[in-house]
Amino acid sequence: MSRSTAEAVPALDERIRGEPLVAQGETLASVTETVCRIVEKPHPPRAWYVAFGISAMLAGLLFAMVGYLLLEGTGVWGINVPVGWGFDITNFVFWVGIGHAGTLISAILFLFRQKWRTSINRFAEAMTIFAVVCAGLFPAIHVGRAWVEYWMFPIPNNLSMWPNFRSPLLWDVFAVSTYMIVSLLFWYMGMIPDLATLRDRARTPLRRFFYGFFSLGWRGSNRQWHRYERAYLLLAALATPLVLSVHSVVSFDFAVSLVPGWHATIFPPYFVAGAIFGGFAMVLLLIVPSREWFGLKNLITMRHLENMTKIVLATGSMVGYAYLIEIFIAWYSGNAVERFAFSNRAFGPYAWAFWTMVSCNVLLPQLFWFKRLRRSIPAILFIAVAVNIGMWFERYVIIVTSLSRDFLPSSWGHFTPTWVDLCTLLGSFGLFFTLFLLFLRFLPIVAIAEVKSVMPDAKLDRDVHHGQGDYHGDIPRQHERQFGDPEAD
Amino acid sequence: MFLETLAGASFRIAGEIGALLLAGSALAGLLVEGAAPHFWRAYLVGFAYFLSLSLGALFFVLLQHLTRSAWSVVLRRLAEGIAANMGLLAILSVPLLLFGLRSLYPWADETLAAHDPLVRAKSAYLNVPFFWVRWAVYFAVWTLTARWFLNRSVEQDRSGDVDLTLRMERASAPAMVLFAFTTTFAAFDLLMSRDPHWYSTIYGIYFFAGGVLGFLALLVAAACVTQRAGRMQRMITAEHYHDLGKLLFAFTVFWAYIAFSQYMLIWYADIPEETGWYLKRQSETWAWVSLALLVGHFFVPFLALLSRVPKRRKKMLVQVALWILAMHAIDLYYLAVPDSGVPALPPHPFYFTVFLGMAGLSVAAAGRCFRTRSLVPEKDPRLQESIAFENA
Repeated sequence: MSRSTAEAVPALDERIRGEPLVAQGETLASVTETVCRIVEKPHPPRAWYVAFGISAMLAGLLFAMVGYLLLEGTGVWGINVPVGWGFDITNFVFWVGIGHAGTLISAILFLFRQKWRTSINRFAEAMTIFAVVCAGLFPAIHVGRAWVEYWMFPIPNNLSMWPNFRSPLLWDVFAVSTYMIVSLLFWYMGMIPDLATLRDRARTPLRRFFYGFFSLGWRGSNRQWHRYERAYLLLAALATPLVLSVHSVVSFDFAVSLVPGWHATIFPPYFVAGAIFGGFAMVLLLIVPSREWFGLKNLITMRHLENMTKIVLATGSMVGYAYLIEIFIAWYSGNAVERFAFSNRAFGPYAWAFWTMVSCNVLLPQLFWFKRLRRSIPAILFIAVAVNIGMWFERYVIIVTSLSRDFLPSSWGHFTPTWVDLCTLLGSFGLFFTLFLLFLRFLPIVAIAEVKSVMPDAKLDRDVHHGQGDYHGDIPRQHERQFGDPEAD
Repeated sequence: MFLETLAGASFRIAGEIGALLLAGSALAGLLVEGAAPHFWRAYLVGFAYFLSLSLGALFFVLLQHLTRSAWSVVLRRLAEGIAANMGLLAILSVPLLLFGLRSLYPWADETLAAHDPLVRAKSAYLNVPFFWVRWAVYFAVWTLTARWFLNRSVEQDRSGDVDLTLRMERASAPAMVLFAFTTTFAAFDLLMSRDPHWYSTIYGIYFFAGGVLGFLALLVAAACVTQRAGRMQRMITAEHYHDLGKLLFAFTVFWAYIAFSQYMLIWYADIPEETGWYLKRQSETWAWVSLALLVGHFFVPFLALLSRVPKRRKKMLVQVALWILAMHAIDLYYLAVPDSGVPALPPHPFYFTVFLGMAGLSVAAAGRCFRTRSLVPEKDPRLQESIAFENA
């Protein structure tokens, strides 16, 4: 669009255009300064030390619990016959789900040209990695004999031990490890230009070496930017199916079986929606204190928070839809066991868990219909915590209620967690927050280069132009085409 | 106004031919012995087809407002017009609801239902009066929503009032909730209850995915036809076709994902009460229809739309779009018909006559819709951005 035409267009109404993505007063230089300073300051804020101390202690608790488990065996948990999966798989599904928001933001929102993602994608991607780290731990320890872990992988060996390729548990191994690799690549590749910025500003040899090593000789030339953007687009396209596939495969763990309450065809998309829902709640939970501690309110504005609450509302409503359809079809099926499975959830011994789940996942997020609450920090924090609790309970309800009471009343049982179960869950949060706090301290927590591309200073926000890329370089003028496009005819 | 000079007559002729075909088929169904069930099945397939397209259009309109999209503004009026076909569909549903139920749905036959304990267990939901009430509610929601969004948008053509955009944006979120539930239960009612024993929780999403895909294909075709008629030639650019192509690709994959989820889970668990539905669709000539869907509804468009080139070339894209529209018809044939125990091939001539009849009426309705309305939201605040939009 040539400038003259752009000027002929009347300025967009403020209400249509929306608030700026980066608050007024920030310049290209100030963005670099704000983000880099977090890493370069000799001491982080006091709150960081407190949070890190607590998290590290909890992470220590986790390792102690894992050690105890490996010494004593899975008998230290509350699992029994018939409830063979308890906190272990609940925690696994919970943590895998948390990761999904990161991939959605970095891949799907990128393809959908949602420019507001630039301020939050680095956070969310980091969260994905750490959530998958926590998730991966649980299947590994729940098998009991962790020293024969490698049997889960299809490695040719002289025992002729092959995993069962028809089992969704094996598909999980592939799905989650692929997810981990692609997420890590995406996160790291996106960080290279910012790492180079840190390298260039580094004052100590140690910093210069590490940031220099990991920025892979980035110089910011046009050619490098061009390749970087192509690679970013391709990785986004590759990561997009992963957002759907990972949690779909996780849902297969349950849905392929005959267990009442597990075998529902809606499980794959329902699990995906739930994962994104829980993940966004976690992003909110992490981002609200971080922007406070590190002075990022100009980059992560109320508009960003509001957009995230809207996604929480949308995905929470999808989860509510799935609950309702499941219950309706359980009735509609006319199948006595299906009907029982759901009435047992709502009114049986685990009714408290079911209603916690419904209140936290379906009812509370509906408060986000009100703009006042979407822009209120206490409300956001409250609902984000509630959603995290609710999503953990969702998996607990699915796993425990269905296993504890299946077809034969003679084989019914009850699951009660032990102190080891509870400490392991608590400890996994410790590990997650420890890793996240280290990320906050040592890496560029906002994508500096991407944020700059949505600022007016970048001179790239031509009113009538919004394409896919981030426009670090020049763009060939393509839309002369609209006046007689030879290709289009 | 716009299309009058061009083709006012051809719209009228399409409508007349459509009405004749539909009336002729109905007459034949009535008079020829044993033809009535064929007629009703054909009617159901045609009705479900055009309903799914208009629901897809309604979803598209709501989604554009919900996400405050700019790129799609030049296409939105066409979608609003397709969604407004809901009025015609409401009329077309009347014969089906009044005379077709007994022929199509085993649960509507009291004597049959009385001997079937499973159907009896669901009779609180599956009964004729409640079915009527539900369809009255569905159509009330759909026609009012479609009309409201069309009328607000047209109102803006005259006044240029930015507030109208904001009102539509605000209304789109609750409308989306209503849309989700009505569409899901409509799919359960109209198609899933053809076999009242069978159930699948994902069924509503399957119907939705197919409908949105079909609508997007129709939108490509409609944009092409409009441009061939000399309208909006500088407004809809290769960029818009490119984005539509991406959405077509995305929904092709989404449809396949949903279809696979349903199939795989039922196949793996292998419970007789669920597998029966697929067994019917994999026996005899229906097996060919199932395979045609696997290849034609997924692999062909998937491969055809993978590259950037066909998405940006109108002529290529419209071919894929027409292919998808045909596949969507086969999909509904596959969903609606096998439960009657009739062979898939050769299809009864009614499937063609009734389908073309409804198509003719829909074309006439579209002509009527745009006789007095502009083809673009002329004063939408984002129109300029939409026209100049480009994929980088």
